[in-house]
Amino acid sequence: MCVLCWQFLTEGHWSDRRFEDNDSTTAMAGSDHERARRRARHHRTQILNQILTHYGLHLDDWHGRSYLLSDRKGKTAIVQDLGALWPTAQQLAGRPLDPLDPWLLARLSHLPAGREPVI
Amino acid sequence: MNRPTTRPITIITGFLGSGKTTLLRRLLASPGMHDTAVLVNEFGEVGLDHHLVQRLDEQTILLGNGCVCCTVRHDLVQALTALLDRDQRGLIAPLRRVVIETTGLADPAPLVFTVVTDPMLQHHFRIDSVVTTVDAVNGPLHLDRHPVSRKQVALADEIIITKTDLALPDTVAMLRERLRRDNPAARMTTAILGDLDPQWLLGPQASHPTVARTTATVSPELLQMPPHPPGTPHPHDTEIRALALTFTQPLDWIAFSVWLSMLLHAHGEAVLRVKGLLNVGATGPVVLNGVQHILHPPEHLAAWPGEDQRSHLVFILHALDPEAIRTSLQAFQHLLGAHPAVDSD
Repeated sequence: MCVLCWQFLTEGHWSDRRFEDNDSTTAMAGSDHERARRRARHHRTQILNQILTHYGLHLDDWHGRSYLLSDRKGKTAIVQDLGALWPTAQQLAGRPLDPLDPWLLARLSHLPAGREPVI
Repeated sequence: MNRPTTRPITIITGFLGSGKTTLLRRLLASPGMHDTAVLVNEFGEVGLDHHLVQRLDEQTILLGNGCVCCTVRHDLVQALTALLDRDQRGLIAPLRRVVIETTGLADPAPLVFTVVTDPMLQHHFRIDSVVTTVDAVNGPLHLDRHPVSRKQVALADEIIITKTDLALPDTVAMLRERLRRDNPAARMTTAILGDLDPQWLLGPQASHPTVARTTATVSPELLQMPPHPPGTPHPHDTEIRALALTFTQPLDWIAFSVWLSMLLHAHGEAVLRVKGLLNVGATGPVVLNGVQHILHPPEHLAAWPGEDQRSHLVFILHALDPEAIRTSLQAFQHLLGAHPAVDSD
């Protein structure tokens, strides 16, 4: 249980697994691990915002542990990971969020090429 | 998490009369199976002589979202918990593996969902593979008439064509071709009266099952195979279709996981299977293996298993146009850092 947001934290989402594991393939020194994890979260937040803006939503990282999802009217929800993000975003947006949506794809197709380095 | 502490589970499924129990009986008769527990839904006509056979009385709990794949099999939770308890109390030989035989009409997805999502079981067990038996004589009819038979094939990691001695070679060849198109990610073999080397089914897991199977099955020949040859109508065009993609450039894993989680949220019921080996620009690939809404935790490997370091991705879709997936990946390419190629090197 998170003492701040009262969320019951059970298992991490599969997309966070890389930074949850502590095996030989991903093991890093403590501070390096935390820096890489923070960089990944920052990168993910940027990518998500390019999608969420199409639905009038915005995402902020909240202390490196949760995300704050808000709509343009200021309605805000706390989400823990990608598993919780999409249903909550759908609720806030009032319509389905679909990566096959032609309008979203048209918008993304016009994004400038180039990206941040793979983490 | 230390992966080797989780015990592999093999799910044997297949339509009624397709030879599941015969296969299981032969498997259990082979040496080295004393540390394997067997969970069956029904004690069939073919008796199973094994000291660790236990019956599952199907108890399903449909979760709030109503998706059939996201159904908890409470009977399985109870059976695996009881096995674990007996194992840890030293009442049975150390438990190394579990084999589950489903009923002929069962959808295997809830079994996978139960193990992958249960807060306790996921730390002690992992789904090693789904093995589907298909009867060479009646299989084509079952596939035509029964959606659950097609789903059992779509979810398979391994497909075993049985009773090949009773069918004409051409019939077997046509069935093999059809199964290959419906599930290009599965390994396939034939067996008469369950006569199959247990190592074929259980052996590779000792090294790394998913990698072995993914690299073995997503071969360039397979990727070059057109989804449906022109002029040959496929009876299930609107139902189950496969899409095999190759990415020559490394993928941005974070962007890809955003895209995939969004896809599974919106269309999880239609994505019967997603399987792949992804180059994310690291020293080793990411192994991807999912069944509908359920994605096994992706494994980030330390090294590549072979020389081919391109990303290969296979989708098996139900009533979802593969072209829509490809178009979406193309639109996301600025975020992903790579664009998909279909059926090409």
